[in-house]
Amino acid sequence: MAKFTNEIVIDSPSEEVWAVVAAAERQAEWFPGMVSSTVENDIRTIGTAAGGFLLEQILSIDHDLMRLEYTITGPIQFEHHLGTLQVEDLGCTARVLYGQELRPEALTYALRAATRDALVGLKALVETGETSRGYTAPQTDKEA
Amino acid sequence: MGRRILFVTTDQQRYDALGCNGGKVARTPVVDSLAASGIRYERAHPQNVVCMPSRATMLTGQHIRNHGVWMNGVPLPADAPTVAGVLHEAGYRTGLFGKAHFEPFLDPFLRFPENRMGVSGATHDEGRPHRGFEQMEFAGHGAAGLVHYGGWLRDNHPEHMAGYFPVLDMTLEVNPEGGGDTGAPQVKHNPIPRGMYHTDWVADRAISWLDGLDGDDDWFCWLSFPDPHHPWNPPSSELHRVPWRDIDLPAGYQEDPEERERILDSKAPHWRRWYDGNLVSNYEAPSKWVPATLTADQVREVNAMAHIQNELIDEALGKVLSAIDGRGWEDDLDIIYTTDHGEFQGDYGLLFKGPYHVDSLMRLPLIWRPAPSATLIPRVVTEPVGLLDLAPTFCRIAGIEVPDWMDGVPLPGSGADDSGHERAGVITEWDSLHPNGTEVHMQSIFANQMLCTRYEAGTCHSGNEGELYDIVEDPHQQVNLWDDPARAATRTDLLEALDETLPARAEPQLAVEAAV
Repeated sequence: MAKFTNEIVIDSPSEEVWAVVAAAERQAEWFPGMVSSTVENDIRTIGTAAGGFLLEQILSIDHDLMRLEYTITGPIQFEHHLGTLQVEDLGCTARVLYGQELRPEALTYALRAATRDALVGLKALVETGETSRGYTAPQTDKEA
Repeated sequence: MGRRILFVTTDQQRYDALGCNGGKVARTPVVDSLAASGIRYERAHPQNVVCMPSRATMLTGQHIRNHGVWMNGVPLPADAPTVAGVLHEAGYRTGLFGKAHFEPFLDPFLRFPENRMGVSGATHDEGRPHRGFEQMEFAGHGAAGLVHYGGWLRDNHPEHMAGYFPVLDMTLEVNPEGGGDTGAPQVKHNPIPRGMYHTDWVADRAISWLDGLDGDDDWFCWLSFPDPHHPWNPPSSELHRVPWRDIDLPAGYQEDPEERERILDSKAPHWRRWYDGNLVSNYEAPSKWVPATLTADQVREVNAMAHIQNELIDEALGKVLSAIDGRGWEDDLDIIYTTDHGEFQGDYGLLFKGPYHVDSLMRLPLIWRPAPSATLIPRVVTEPVGLLDLAPTFCRIAGIEVPDWMDGVPLPGSGADDSGHERAGVITEWDSLHPNGTEVHMQSIFANQMLCTRYEAGTCHSGNEGELYDIVEDPHQQVNLWDDPARAATRTDLLEALDETLPARAEPQLAVEAAV
């Protein structure tokens, strides 16, 4: 099983960050490459820019711990998947940790890169109100 | 008006796939004819044995460590200089048709320009050349994927999409399922009509682009066939070409399991571990497939399918050459034909590819038919060359100074100046880090008819292992001489030459953004 966590510090109070993260239906506003996200009961349906979709089950939204957990249920048939968004209070700012566990591991690198970009998108949305829709992920430059 | 350049690549094609290289199965008269009137290289090696690093080398003329694409899934940096860019700047019209793979394929969130172009149908990156190409139309290994061919098939012939074997399974791992007559992995009978198969589509798209050029345009056209890479599913209408029951087993396959396993045991330990199903080191072979289960008939069927795909490529190339001839460009046309890396195709009881540096994966077909107007003499070149020499060769053909950032040198045979090929040897390297934690690092040098590979410490190796083969005495690399005291001096010399040739690793290492 592969596990990884990306993190970012956002210059906003943790409760403001958590309000966005906890609104599960808003994920497409800050996750580049997601064109839609809707929630019905505990099922979130993600439309992807590649023309596909992901089905996710929201496992928990814990307002006390500021933690959201979900699992991808289709169409990719993971033996195990757990996505975790954790917001930590740093006083005037907040740290967000975006973790994934998955088996098989084929999507590890793609999810790691996409969730890294997603945290940048979340930071932009919370700090400036800019959504990631139409956002193009920056390409790696050798000089960067 | 200068010399036009048709750069033809296949994917995962063995040296012995072609008749001109001694291949006995596929009929490849078009390429054979180019070899007869041009330069045939007997020792062309890739700098890495999987697609993305190797293709990045072809495009940049750089060693792996200098362009930074150290394994599949690492995108070539957006600001990487390319030979297509150099040619475009010099006034060449530039197009690529078929498989690019300078950026990852596995991209559900559409993070990469190539995939955005493939999904939208755009043939350039928002009006700008992409990596130096003003026109790009992509194909992959079937109907799936974020490529133009998939969209074309879906829009025009959706009934044929399911005819292809799904390269990936529902977990997005390389599909271990088998099919055909023998249950061989990644084999399928594909009912798609031949004219709709991706090989012909690639040729047709290139011809369409060439048809739109002015007669006096200089152009560089990369004709990049996705075959004979797995899946092995050529149109069923073509299966009669190579009946699998009638073909001989490849010389590199040992039918006796004991003999096969004895050879594997003489190599570095990861060979046998993979064969037995005890190691997943890389994404490029199905993780749930155990090579030890491969049967002789499956080897025959995979080979037959690959050779059918080779024949279709040859015929598609012939179609493109006829179109070029019809435009009156033939006399000023240089054609270079090669592939990105090889394929086991049954050697040692293995299929696919991975961290295994032997001729199956490293000895590549390479043919250069210089423009007839250049009046070069046909010849066979035996000294080792690398794919990193292609980009400098394109520059020389175009009459452009080879940029300093290219590591390669123009291929020998280019006429006036063959300097630069005094190099110690040609090198191939491998670095990989699988999400399961498996880590492999190895480098090889081929020089003086010897192939030497050393392993660095990783999860499979202590750092003391190596392989040394005498290619003349042992053409299938079955006798590892690494620990032979009589070859100790040779081994030392080769390792010193390797150190002299190998650039330092790039820092920081570029991030892996997808499995492939």
